[in-house]
Amino acid sequence: MKTAHASTLNLLTVRNGAIVVVLLLGATACGFLLDQHISLTSQAMLYVLAVVIASYTLRWQVSVLCAVAAVTVFNFFFVPPRWTFEVENREHLITLFTMLLVALVISHLAARLRRETEAARLNARRAQQLQALATDLSSATSAPEMKALGQTALDSAFDGPCVLALQRPDGALDLPMELVSSVGDGMHCCMRELAVLGPGTGRWPGLNAWYLPLGDKGHTSGAAYIPSAQAEDTSGREHAQALCTLLAQALWRMHLTSSMRVAQNETQRQQLQSTFLAAISHDLRTPLAAVVGAASSLQAQRDKLSPEEQDRMLGSIVSEASYLSSVTENTLQLVQLSNSSQELHRDWESIEEIVGAVLARVRQRDPARRIQFKVPEGLPLIQVDPVLIAQLIGNLLDNALKYSPATIDLTVCTAEHQLRVAVKDRGDGIPEDMYPTIFQPYSRGDSSGQRGAGLGLALCRAIATAHGGTLTLRPRAGGGNSFTLALPLASEQPPREIP
Amino acid sequence: MSLRILVVEDDREIRAWLQSTLSVEGFEVRTAVSVSEASALLRHAPPDVIVLDLGLPDGDGVELVHEVRKHHTLPIVVVSARHQEAQKIQLLDAGADDYLTKPFSVGELLARIRVALRHRGTALAAAVTLHALDDLRVDLALHSVQRGGETIHLTPTEYKLLARLVRSVGRVVTHRQLLADVWGPEYTEHTHYLRLYMGQLRAKVEVDPAEPRHLLTETGVGYRLAAV
Repeated sequence: MKTAHASTLNLLTVRNGAIVVVLLLGATACGFLLDQHISLTSQAMLYVLAVVIASYTLRWQVSVLCAVAAVTVFNFFFVPPRWTFEVENREHLITLFTMLLVALVISHLAARLRRETEAARLNARRAQQLQALATDLSSATSAPEMKALGQTALDSAFDGPCVLALQRPDGALDLPMELVSSVGDGMHCCMRELAVLGPGTGRWPGLNAWYLPLGDKGHTSGAAYIPSAQAEDTSGREHAQALCTLLAQALWRMHLTSSMRVAQNETQRQQLQSTFLAAISHDLRTPLAAVVGAASSLQAQRDKLSPEEQDRMLGSIVSEASYLSSVTENTLQLVQLSNSSQELHRDWESIEEIVGAVLARVRQRDPARRIQFKVPEGLPLIQVDPVLIAQLIGNLLDNALKYSPATIDLTVCTAEHQLRVAVKDRGDGIPEDMYPTIFQPYSRGDSSGQRGAGLGLALCRAIATAHGGTLTLRPRAGGGNSFTLALPLASEQPPREIP
Repeated sequence: MSLRILVVEDDREIRAWLQSTLSVEGFEVRTAVSVSEASALLRHAPPDVIVLDLGLPDGDGVELVHEVRKHHTLPIVVVSARHQEAQKIQLLDAGADDYLTKPFSVGELLARIRVALRHRGTALAAAVTLHALDDLRVDLALHSVQRGGETIHLTPTEYKLLARLVRSVGRVVTHRQLLADVWGPEYTEHTHYLRLYMGQLRAKVEVDPAEPRHLLTETGVGYRLAAV
């Protein structure tokens, strides 16, 4: 490492020396070429030109060397007496001194200009890096991903090897195995003190590296180590701090989001649990009692019961049990839908077909064909989970059949980039102040002793929402209720021209 | 000789119920509680029909269907819960003949078994080529489709689709099977073809396409041509 460094230094010196020699040779050659035509002052100008070029392109030490060499060479070749280092005329002596002075001033100015340009470029690069890191971090979703981004940023901003470590749940840093223990101690220390340590910081200035904490009081998330730090490199330290702050903020933001999600999940889980308990107490117990009652009567008193009574009891067992089955289905489906990880099995579906299949099932409970179905031709296809949409429409129709004695209208239409399915009944209007609660689990509109679908409407709304649609209730002109399912239509339909 | 049914079901109550119900109907019923027991019984004495419950303790039944299909053409009726859609379709695509969703009535079960038995051996004997129900009459041999005595003109694809369903009349045919057989194996994901063509076909075949009598939808699974 050291020898390599030395050899690069040598190479640089040789290269700089070569440039100086070439420049001076050039100036001397031009001076000889134009010797007959120009004065000594103009020849001096050629050397000044060489010095200016050297000052602008090379380091200041080299350019000063170049200036001294230029004066010497100029004196040797051109100042009378020529081919000696002596100076015969006082005026020529002044020319030489002036030239040296000019060369030094130019060299100084050029060097400063170059330094400023470099600083400006470095600042621009750093600003750009901060911006890029901020953008990358905003799309990162995990701590390791953020750490990798931060590591890359530090490595590209500083001569490595930088170390970036995140805090483990137990508070200690997750340090790489091969790390020197003193570096690890430094990183832990800066995290404890919540301050940057190292040269130029006033804390542990004797170190040759910076130790930076990630985060502020109350939420540290790690620490960084940047070796080969210079006390006077304030902007470099500020840049390192800016990078670390950015990283800490991103980590903290992610931490907040994830803890919020955990809290949300917990609330949701508790809600589900209470919903499920409500389902059991509210909608399962009564029908179960009816089933057990009827079945035990048949078991114990079969001989005493008339055939009609036996039939009635058997019928009640079947209908109560199928009611239990539908409540169970609805509850399970609602639980599944509330579980956000559950994905919909969407496919291109025809609403006419779904409604047709639902009707085929519901008609068994609609012998008088009270449901009137109107569907226009050429409806667009929709991307939905057909089983869920069928369940939704089936629930609405079952409810309507139960609560409305008259005709029920089922209509489908498209409007405003939506497909709308409406189920309109002539049952008792639901009071408007109940509208907000009717779609919540267990808030049935009646207390007449007639059983509702329990979770039915809550499930219907959950299905609509899961599809990015809505389910709304409106009073119907002339009495009754109108439930409308609105589903967004895909902006692009699959091609109608197919093989 | 009575027909033999193998019931594969892990729940004791349902197994007992199926056994007594099917015995009353004159079937010779054998039961198995797991996939492995069913495989053993199959090797020993192959039945005429299998009623296979999903969600058995030692497997999902797909291997059993594959195994049966290697050696036998005997019908398999799958019994599933409502939320087991994907698994059910997988079994149907693997070669099961039909399905029932729990809870089901005796009537439904017997109807499914009857249809499945009617198709028994169609892979070897002459396949169904003539279908007549109510006003619809399809004769695959004559390439003719009639409604109420009048010939209906179908496009080649519509005809292929209808013919495919006629060959499995009474049984569910999954979307994947229909797409593969009518359009080709590379089209099995293009369900919108089915929606569009089924719409056209219903418009020609059904009296009330919105509430079909013949071309029934099995939501999320496939289609069934009504047999009764």
